[in-house]
Amino acid sequence: MSLDTAIEAKNVVKKYNDFTALNGVSLEIKKGECVGLLGPNEAGKSTLMKLMYCQSLLTEGELYVLGLNVKKNFREIKSKIGVVPQENMLDEEFTLLENLKLFARYQQMDPATIEEKIFYLLRLFKLEEFANHQIGQLSGGTQRRLCIARALIHSPDLLFLDEPTTGLDPQSRLWLWNFVKQMKEMAGTILMTTHYIEEAEELCDRVAIIDHGKILSIDSPHNLINSQIGNEVVEFHSNSVDLNYYINRLKDNKFDYQVYHNMVLVFIKPNQDSRVLLEIIKSEKVTLRKPTLNDVFLKLAGYNLRDV
Amino acid sequence: MSDLTFLKLPKIRDGYKNIWLRNFLHFKKTFLVSFFWVILEPLMYLGAIGYGLGSYIQTINGQSYVDFFFPGLLASTSMMVPFFESTYNNYTKLTFQKIYNHMMLTRLDTYEIITGELLWSTFKGFFGIVGLVFIASFFGLVSGWEIILVILLLTLNSWIFSGIAMSITSWAKNYDSFIYATSGFLIPLTLISGIYFPISQMPVLLQITTYIFPLAHTIELCRMILTEQWHWVGYFHLLYLLIAAYVFFALALMRITKKLIN
Repeated sequence: MSLDTAIEAKNVVKKYNDFTALNGVSLEIKKGECVGLLGPNEAGKSTLMKLMYCQSLLTEGELYVLGLNVKKNFREIKSKIGVVPQENMLDEEFTLLENLKLFARYQQMDPATIEEKIFYLLRLFKLEEFANHQIGQLSGGTQRRLCIARALIHSPDLLFLDEPTTGLDPQSRLWLWNFVKQMKEMAGTILMTTHYIEEAEELCDRVAIIDHGKILSIDSPHNLINSQIGNEVVEFHSNSVDLNYYINRLKDNKFDYQVYHNMVLVFIKPNQDSRVLLEIIKSEKVTLRKPTLNDVFLKLAGYNLRDV
Repeated sequence: MSDLTFLKLPKIRDGYKNIWLRNFLHFKKTFLVSFFWVILEPLMYLGAIGYGLGSYIQTINGQSYVDFFFPGLLASTSMMVPFFESTYNNYTKLTFQKIYNHMMLTRLDTYEIITGELLWSTFKGFFGIVGLVFIASFFGLVSGWEIILVILLLTLNSWIFSGIAMSITSWAKNYDSFIYATSGFLIPLTLISGIYFPISQMPVLLQITTYIFPLAHTIELCRMILTEQWHWVGYFHLLYLLIAAYVFFALALMRITKKLIN
């Protein structure tokens, strides 16, 4: 393992009784990278993260965080990482300011530096005016900002963000995106999970698509789109009578496609010509567009609803 | 050879102090409520049972009834206060508030968190005992230096019941589980442990049953100390309590750790 590796996972397996949450995950994250974990519910994203921030025990495999073994050095790891969990987990019996002070205590920071650090974070996260509010009085966005401030209080080397923007209003989300970009400039290493594909596309240097406890693909958003989808996507709707006919034509012409109800997505590879396709398809609703990470995600993870 | 590593004292790092501190800061905010039920409730028992009912009883084991009842009341307070703290309150922290998971985001490990919580429950028991002793001293119920020893002993009892309660919390499925623990275990225990009448009044089977649990041992020891009638059996009571203190501490560490990291 080289010195600039932040996280290294080798064949990580996590089982809960008979349920296999992670089924052999290998992954290497470099220092200064921002990596996104993308996947449907129950895919194993949060489980993988929990193993890394030491709130879950490894069943099999090896996992090193900042060069430290999660099986042995969990206390040292936890002193060097910041975690923003999916649920806020704030101490509701206390005010915003008290929450930060207590957290600094739990991290056993030098008391002389605590005040200064908290004052700095309050300003950075625009939390000053709420300092003496009880947690219950804070809006969802403010609570989320507090969670991130809390995770940064001890100046960690590595930040975990588990669905940081779920349930936030557009303003808060935009603010958070800007914040993550600033963090990246400061060479902070970030590992995040998200359901929002545009978020991963916007923020992450690399994206890992996870489903059924396995990493299906990991690369930069650009490379993932190029390798999995191609240059363009043609999207058309058809009635169910004509659908089979069209699909056969697509097969004849060796087009890569995906069907969802009456909608068909055709992925145009660099050596293919979308105009050929437009002549085949006589649907009224045909769209030619640039592929997105969303197409990659749905291609790899499929359309089926989870946890229903 | 059998594995004896479980006899080693678990290694607890000093982060537990900050858990205790968190609870203390919260306690300061709700001081009056705590004061009310921690100290006033036993005082009502002292009035109703000790003086009210006790006035009909001439002597019991050569003592006035209220003198007999007082150590039992202290012991039951030292059991009840940490028991309720470590069941209802800690269950809320473990499940709904996720305070322990929140603490786990820091460098704290589960042993520090659990130890801090047990020490807090024990402190609350200690707080109740000292408050009760202080008020009882105005009624002339506290006569000598022996009370210091009794307070130490009762604090040990608080520690034991913190551990028992925390272990029960780890098995609890919901708040109703604690109704079983309270009505099925705690209340009957106060009735058979020699608080209200001497254990020797009970059928032999019940006498044996009561000594399985720590409360009767604590009460026996307290009475021995307060009446200055030391008996060598006292050492066995003390040994039992020390073993119980260790066993339930270890059990709570093991059980809650499993809940927090799985």
